[in-house]
Amino acid sequence: MAIITISRGSYSKGKEVAEKVAKCLGYECVSREVLLDASDRFNIPEVRLVRAIHDAPTILERFGRKKQAFLAYIRYSLARRVQQDNVVYHGLAGHLLLSGIPHLLKVRIIASLEDRVKSEMQREGVSEHEARTLIIRDDQERRKWTQALSGLDPWDSALYDLVIHIRELTVDDAVNFICEAAQLAPFETTPEAKQKMDDLVAACELKAALVNEYPDVGVICKYGTVLIYTKSGERVQHKVRDRARKLAQKIDGIHHIEVHAGVTPPPSAV
Amino acid sequence: MKLSIIILSSDSVEMEKEIAQKTGSALGYDLLDRRLLSVVESRYEIPLDKLEWALEELASSRRQSVDLQRQALAYIQATTLEELLKDNLVCHGLGAHLYVLGVSHALRVRILAAPEELMEDMSTKKARDRVDRRRKLRQNWSLALYGLDETDPSQYDLVISLSQIDTEEAVKIITQTAGYRRFAPMTYSINCLRDAELASRVRARLWEQFPNVKVRAKGGTVVVETKGALRNKMKTAATIKEVVQPMEGVDYVEVHVMNKLFKKALPLSR
Repeated sequence: MAIITISRGSYSKGKEVAEKVAKCLGYECVSREVLLDASDRFNIPEVRLVRAIHDAPTILERFGRKKQAFLAYIRYSLARRVQQDNVVYHGLAGHLLLSGIPHLLKVRIIASLEDRVKSEMQREGVSEHEARTLIIRDDQERRKWTQALSGLDPWDSALYDLVIHIRELTVDDAVNFICEAAQLAPFETTPEAKQKMDDLVAACELKAALVNEYPDVGVICKYGTVLIYTKSGERVQHKVRDRARKLAQKIDGIHHIEVHAGVTPPPSAV
Repeated sequence: MKLSIIILSSDSVEMEKEIAQKTGSALGYDLLDRRLLSVVESRYEIPLDKLEWALEELASSRRQSVDLQRQALAYIQATTLEELLKDNLVCHGLGAHLYVLGVSHALRVRILAAPEELMEDMSTKKARDRVDRRRKLRQNWSLALYGLDETDPSQYDLVISLSQIDTEEAVKIITQTAGYRRFAPMTYSINCLRDAELASRVRARLWEQFPNVKVRAKGGTVVVETKGALRNKMKTAATIKEVVQPMEGVDYVEVHVMNKLFKKALPLSR
């Protein structure tokens, strides 16, 4: 009962792998649905969410509220989608947005640039030069986006459990690997893993509710106890606590809230 | 005769050895590892510690050190490729992942040790710094000597992280993959390996007199490129042919002497 995230560059056959894995395991396959959920729930046009999750933030945007808010909405929608397990997600940064979940199988699919260029030429009817330019630019945007979000390089294979190179190995081989890996013990849903998933959903929900007014808060939830970190001072601390308590009444799984002011949120915070 | 090859590389020497041994046992394959260096030592009269140093460290910028390192690696490469032609093997610790290229029946796998394996008992920051330094060192080593980044996942067919997947499961994935038809030796792929072995053997043979030589081989035809003054072109070519022509597997030798000042770019392999 795993949650599987499949990261890939454009035209790396990652989507095809994800769909086949989902079919093989009887899992739900999710990608754009996350954005549609977020768009619907938070009343943001989908195209703006797509830009938030696709384009690397500019220097100004990195400190901007809007992008942070959109990411919080997407993260919450994704967490909700995968909360019941048995999901294959293929889209940007699933392995980062869902980090800390023990039964998350993180897979990266890579393919040679030449194969990807050929695929893009066939599908989009563009010249080789155009296809190559588009793919390289897309890769660079994704890389910058991930680095801006997490400080990590998405091409670093240490972020994944499996990296599969589609070259000698085919799509079907990749599907076999992933299906078998998903049934290994570390990716089973234990009660602890379920609790961590529920905690993540609660933390994401609270963050999404607070992010517009208090964009710098970081939220951690452990067994229903919520820790909110904010770099602001004590005056803001009281406001955040009052607001969070009101919101927590509507969120399942939250029993207690603490707010820590003047503290940088730890890396594991939402 | 079967010639299946599995080449392992890892960020942990101990883990690489363990996985190699278990994979070899599971498949009934022999291990090709640093014990081969004693053969290199006796054949080419280079001390064992220098050979090990060449595989681990990056030479200082002193010309003598760099040349010695390249020489040692050329001898290791030639000897390794000769062994790889013989039987089903699991190869590790000899840098084969960097020079067994384009051989479709060679399965190249990278193993990433679990972070707690790499960090041992040190404090987190100190351990992480040490891991990062070692990784950078290996990256610089492989780039400087082979023009390839050994930490780049696109150099491999499969990358397996042991942070969740344990060693037994990793071995199972590797043995299963090795059985795929695509990794069965074919006439073409065996010939590719033979060509690589011949080119390496010729290069090793020529090293003493012509340390900067580049060699290609295809089906018994050997093309040698070396730098030198054009006025000595005939003499140089004759010397090289005299050495190479009698070598086993060589049918025809072609020599290109490039002027030192005006280098032509040719897509020659090492």
